[in-house]
Amino acid sequence: MKKITLIIQREFLTRVRKKTFIIGTILFPLLYLGLIFGTGYIADKTKEDLNIALIDQSGLFKQDLIKSINGNDTVNSIQLVAVSPELIKTSFDSLGFDGYVIVPQNFTWQTGADSLLVNTKKSFGIGALNPIEKKINLMWNRIKRDSLGIDVGKEAILSKSIDLKINNEKDKNANAGIATVIGYVSGFLMYFILLLYGSQVMMGVTEEKTSRIAEVVVSSVKPFQLMIGKIIGIGMVALTQFLIWIACILIIYNVTKTTGNDGTASVMVGKIQQVFTSVNIPLVVGCFIFYLLAGFFFYSSLYAAIGSAINEDMREAQSLSFPITMLIIFSIALMTPAISNPSSPVAVWASIIPFSSPIVMMARIPFGVPNTVPWWQLGLSMVLLVAGFMFTTWFAARIYRTGILMYGKKPSWKEMIKWAFRK
Amino acid sequence: MNILELHNLKKYFATQKAVDDISMSIPKGSIFGLLGPNGAGKTTLIRMITGIFYPDAGDIILKGKKFDPENDAKYIGYMPEERGLYKKMKIGEQALYLAQLKGLSKHDAMHKIKEWFKRLEMESWWNKKVEDLSKGMGQKLQFVITVLHEPDLIILDEPFSGLDPINANLIKDEIYRLAQNGTTIIFSTHRMEQVEEICNNIVLVNKGQKILDGTVQNVKQDFKENLFSIQLENTPAAISSNAFDIVTVNKQELIVKINEGFKANDVLGYFMNNGSNIVSFKELLPSLNDIFIKLVEGTPTARQFQKVTE
Repeated sequence: MKKITLIIQREFLTRVRKKTFIIGTILFPLLYLGLIFGTGYIADKTKEDLNIALIDQSGLFKQDLIKSINGNDTVNSIQLVAVSPELIKTSFDSLGFDGYVIVPQNFTWQTGADSLLVNTKKSFGIGALNPIEKKINLMWNRIKRDSLGIDVGKEAILSKSIDLKINNEKDKNANAGIATVIGYVSGFLMYFILLLYGSQVMMGVTEEKTSRIAEVVVSSVKPFQLMIGKIIGIGMVALTQFLIWIACILIIYNVTKTTGNDGTASVMVGKIQQVFTSVNIPLVVGCFIFYLLAGFFFYSSLYAAIGSAINEDMREAQSLSFPITMLIIFSIALMTPAISNPSSPVAVWASIIPFSSPIVMMARIPFGVPNTVPWWQLGLSMVLLVAGFMFTTWFAARIYRTGILMYGKKPSWKEMIKWAFRK
Repeated sequence: MNILELHNLKKYFATQKAVDDISMSIPKGSIFGLLGPNGAGKTTLIRMITGIFYPDAGDIILKGKKFDPENDAKYIGYMPEERGLYKKMKIGEQALYLAQLKGLSKHDAMHKIKEWFKRLEMESWWNKKVEDLSKGMGQKLQFVITVLHEPDLIILDEPFSGLDPINANLIKDEIYRLAQNGTTIIFSTHRMEQVEEICNNIVLVNKGQKILDGTVQNVKQDFKENLFSIQLENTPAAISSNAFDIVTVNKQELIVKINEGFKANDVLGYFMNNGSNIVSFKELLPSLNDIFIKLVEGTPTARQFQKVTE
């Protein structure tokens, strides 16, 4: 036991003291946020800005009507042009228009037209024409309203509609929107940690094997102790990183709480407090730590087995670890349907079966325990995951003790399984 | 008293009887040579002694008790042929870590490392990394790490490969010093001249079996061919005696083989009666190298894969 502690200590300290750990701990959340906001920002910036000429042969579209519609939204504008269709066809681009629409003579206020053509020389994305379409329909609505003699007050009555909202009687604070976000964040975080630290275990084992230190160490400790010490040590690193992030979130929460009521800050505070009231944060964090460690043990022992089987060549590592990596990627693929319907059979089974449960169960838990996830499912999932990692650790240890001293050709999965089940 | 006894040790792999029924005893305080061609099973044998492999059959008795790898690791120091250290770890921390894994307390380990580093002039290495060391320096460090916890049994696999003569002598002196203090050293190599120089006892293994066991002197006596070298002031033109046969004739030196039933005195008598002046006379003992080649030769140079049934 003392020796395992020594190994854990070494694995933990050498990693935590590295610059890459400190940078990774700070940079990863920043990169993650940057990715989310960056893509949003870019999508916003690259929106089409269309300028469309309107030639009205029906006489219904008046200048002041168009002006009042354009007044609200200056990005996509429509302008009434009083030239002949032949002339606009040849000159619309030199006049600074992206395209033109001809409203035909037979366009009446009652029937309108099934469709109008935007004549252009450009190609547009799917949603690019939506704002223009909206404006033309808005104008037609006004024309219809005026013709029917409906005033603004009556129109307001007509345009009223009803919103449907969820009232979960069992859980008053449930908020599907926030649960979805937390579900996604937890699932992806789990995914990154499993892949990142799993491959760290694999590379650590390979490094010990190829630098031949393994033979020196296993003359003092059992191969199993070396393997489990490495796995626990690296698991502690992952846990430390996660706890640092949690601490940062708590600091941000408390800081935003005290900085009071001015403008944007109060909105932020409101939102953050909403998160804390609608989701059982201690339960989510507690479960996350459990699934982080158990899932990590489940996968990293398999990665350790692969690390012990390969030699210097990193390509060998890729081809051998492919099935394991696929399991993790498959889990993340199951997460999306599980979040959109957290009570569906796919979600339930994927969150109980050990290989996908760390990611899928973490995506479901924010929707509420025991309403969305009954206690028995959570319990069964945890028990099976513990049983699962005990099996993979046993299995991996048997491959490891042979692989770590075996040099030469890369074994196949078939040979490795043979090592595992030999007496 | 024997520090280590092996009784009918066996280890079979899927395609190879790596160690096939080997027994031997190693007396305390001896420098013991474990010899054998490549693939003879030396490394497998050593791995069983160090607790890395469990034997399929047979017993290992260390210090009079059945060997228990978990708790007896501290009595053994092992330097594998392929040297291994953490490349990115600081040398001082690494030595400390490996000594603690052997069961030393942090305080004791620190004390001993400082002592050894001082003796071998390695004090300035403490904060360096292994990747900064030359091959020979790495070798020296590996040796220190092997012997640091003062084990009763030290197993060195090719300890001099890659060392220059000065550092090789340094290590050699340390080996003698350790042996004088009662440490037993098993020395695995196929460099015969080193074995002859250093070892008291040897065992030769081939194809997983022990084929020779004894002190260096006895082994040489057993394999001597009654060859003698004689230097004469002037070699007579014709020599003929039924006491011996001439093997080779050089300018100054004759090599003769004494026949069955005759003694060295018969040879000397013949030349004295002949009136030749004898300058020197000595027995030619075979070198371990000759014995090794004689015993191992004829067996295929590379071990063949075989079917293991059992």
